[in-house]
Amino acid sequence: MKNADQNKQTAEGGDNGVLRIKNLTKRFGAHLVLESISLGIEKGKTTVVIGPSGCGKTVLIKHLIVLLRPSSGEVYFKGRRIDNLREQELNEVRMHYGFLFQGGALFDSLNVFENIIFPIRQHFRINDWKVVEDLVKSKLSMVGLDGFQNYYPANLSGGQRKRVALARAIALNPEVILYDEPTTGLDPIRADIINELVLKLRRELGITTVVVTHDMKSAYKIADRIIMLHRGRLVADGDAEHIRNHPHPVVQQFINGQVSDEDLAALRMSGTVSQTQFMPRDFAK
Amino acid sequence: MIETLGARTIRGINNAGQFARFAWQSVLTSVRSIGHFRTYPLVLSQMNIIGVRSVPVIMVTGAFVGMTLAVQAYDQLAGMRLEEHLGVLINISVVKELGPVLAAVMLAGRVGGALTAELGTMNVTEQIDAIRSMGTDPVRHLVAPRVLACLLLTPVLIIYADLLGILGGYFVSVWQLGINSGAYWMFSASGVELYDVLVGVTKGFFFGCAIALISCYKGFTCKEGAQGVGQACTEAFVASFISILALDFALAVISKAIYNSFWPFKSLVS
Ligand SMILES: Nc1ncnc2c1ncn2[C@@H]1O[C@H](COP(=O)(O)OP(=O)(O)OP(=O)(O)O)[C@@H](O)[C@H]1O
Ligand SMILES: [Mg+2]
Repeated sequence: MKNADQNKQTAEGGDNGVLRIKNLTKRFGAHLVLESISLGIEKGKTTVVIGPSGCGKTVLIKHLIVLLRPSSGEVYFKGRRIDNLREQELNEVRMHYGFLFQGGALFDSLNVFENIIFPIRQHFRINDWKVVEDLVKSKLSMVGLDGFQNYYPANLSGGQRKRVALARAIALNPEVILYDEPTTGLDPIRADIINELVLKLRRELGITTVVVTHDMKSAYKIADRIIMLHRGRLVADGDAEHIRNHPHPVVQQFINGQVSDEDLAALRMSGTVSQTQFMPRDFAK
Repeated sequence: MIETLGARTIRGINNAGQFARFAWQSVLTSVRSIGHFRTYPLVLSQMNIIGVRSVPVIMVTGAFVGMTLAVQAYDQLAGMRLEEHLGVLINISVVKELGPVLAAVMLAGRVGGALTAELGTMNVTEQIDAIRSMGTDPVRHLVAPRVLACLLLTPVLIIYADLLGILGGYFVSVWQLGINSGAYWMFSASGVELYDVLVGVTKGFFFGCAIALISCYKGFTCKEGAQGVGQACTEAFVASFISILALDFALAVISKAIYNSFWPFKSLVS
């Protein structure tokens, strides 16, 4: 009875989204990070979340897989409410997700190969290791790291770690992939290869994708839809064209990388560098 | 002043409640994961880290306890011309109290610290969240193997500490203090019962469980940053230490009650 009710509600939302958020509010103590956000994410589309640093993008994307629980509001996956499930029940749901952490979050006690097979090993019994080796090889070549199977995360560069984490996130061929800043810390060419990879996965497997990024070039390239967060609220929502021509000054400043007048004034007010800071040369004599 | 006191009390009760829930969950998960083939390699590797590498340290601890007891107790007993009873005193103390408690404290420092630091670092670098994001229960994957390994190995390590304590006491008593070897063993054997050894070893199960649960809990709830991890390790050690002593007291009371109520049947058992 209750379930039918929930289904009706989501249907009434007028959006057959794979993922839906309703009136999501998140506080950490007194700090209000997200305020009453509602959002539906469509199947097989790529949604890009942009916004200034610290505006709550990571917090938002973690709610989609319920790594964080809302202070109030609801999260739905395929019409089923998931924000109030117990951890054990959530584990079933999370099998359908891939999540790329902003910091990679590789297991540093395991090597690259073991990291990538971790999700496979947790859910399937491996009978034929040859198949698994081939799978790891193919996932690693997708991110340009074949041959690094035996490296430990400590011996990889920051960008390499990120790419291994990406390979791990797609290891189970999930239905939904959530990427937290996949291209940050990569050189422009690598970043573009990741963009192509995101496009390829969506095109060939119809994967529903949510990407958090600061990188507008990448956003324009991969997005079917771009949403912008600012001070805990959605300020813009639409395709790339819509965002480019958005009237809101905050959006224009963000996509053009311009500093706002307030911020500039604050910087000027802080005085000249030599007045405020001791340099090593001050102690030379 | 009263306000801070109240706030502290509430926080304390909150923490205790959280810990109780964590501990309950962990114990349940550990029991359940005994039936899973996937846990065994994890438990074995933890047993290697926790158990095998602790053996030398534990043995040294045990040996010194036995040796020190011999030196300390000799004068008092010699004053009463009872020095041949030295063996009873040393071996009872080692087997019932000092062996288990000191071995557990040693483990709390060696293993507890490492567990907290490892899990704490995994927590602050989001590795625990990564496990959750892949649909695996971090308690099952991380806590259960550690709890099981500690539970199984602490009693074994206590036996090592006991053995070395007994040997250490023997060497000092017989070789250095010149007590007759035959008399030493005879009095020891008549004074130490199997029950005493069992009590000591049983304590190991409780101590091991407490060390693992507290250290894992502190790691899981560790605050951000290098300082957070350091603080969690310190707190884990202090909490483990206190609970070892508290458990030791409680178990002493309980084991005595059990012993007394079964005293009449003792002749049937042995
Ligand atoms: N676990 C937490 N406890 C307390 N505050 C938090 C926590 N996680 C995030 N915050 C706060 O939420 C706000 C948003 O953080 P979030 O990580 O989502 O930013 P972001 O948009 O991803 O920024 P960036 O682009 O720099 O990654 C920050 O101000 C941060 O202080
Ligand atoms: Mg972020």
